[in-house]
Amino acid sequence: MEANELVSFFEEDLCLFHLRSRKKTSALQEMVRHLALARRISDERFIMEMLKNRESLGSTGLGNGVAFPHGKSLAIKRLTVLFAKSSSGVDFDSLDGKPTRIFFLILAPSDRGAETYLSLLSNLIGIVQNQSLLKKLHDVKDFPSLIEILGGIES
Amino acid sequence: MKEEHRLLIALQDLDIMIKEAKDTSTSKELESMGFKLTGLNELQEARKKLASKIPPALLQRYEKLAKHYRMGILPVTGDLCLGCFVKLPTSFFSAAHSHELLVCENCGRMLYIP
Ligand SMILES: [Zn+2]
Repeated sequence: MEANELVSFFEEDLCLFHLRSRKKTSALQEMVRHLALARRISDERFIMEMLKNRESLGSTGLGNGVAFPHGKSLAIKRLTVLFAKSSSGVDFDSLDGKPTRIFFLILAPSDRGAETYLSLLSNLIGIVQNQSLLKKLHDVKDFPSLIEILGGIES
Repeated sequence: MKEEHRLLIALQDLDIMIKEAKDTSTSKELESMGFKLTGLNELQEARKKLASKIPPALLQRYEKLAKHYRMGILPVTGDLCLGCFVKLPTSFFSAAHSHELLVCENCGRMLYIP
């Protein structure tokens, strides 16, 4: 996936730079509520149920302060990505037991193959595995800087 | 939306998740990214619990459709049934039907407007 394509999935009104919740379910709920308010989903309950089931399959908190909640639902029209940041950290059952501060929530329609969201996931994971980009992500405060980091643009 | 229809849609979301977790190429790819997929049993338990709340006749109809086609309930994105590609009647898109579980009169698949 080209950097341009990756960046195209992010929308300014789907970025939350001050997530308030401190617990897993309430953090997911806060992100899903935001998608509903931004009119990207019509029914929060389907998305919440799916995301909670996905977490019971195995936490999407991969460690290093980053989580990738994701999944498919009939209630999703098109591939939707929400970015969220928490300064206090969320207890997200992450694999290293540390609080999660960066979230990439990825929702895909259920009638499509898994390829696009898997490729999006693996590209984002590649970015957070780069220590200098990860540090920049932890410091990101607005949409233009987020796009710079994700697009690999030197600042 | 009727509660039983809501449960059925949640069941299909869960079925698709279980299918992907069982699909070796998808699960291998997720595992290679660092995800640990150890809770398949929990998902299957959740599936059983959810299915038990759905009226048997509706559940059977869904399972028959899901077995015969790739998905029992299809999302509606344009004005066609994406199962049989027949144009849906305009009454489908009235406010009264929005976000309801509908049935294609041509092929019998269940439809949902997301
Ligand atoms: Zn049809």
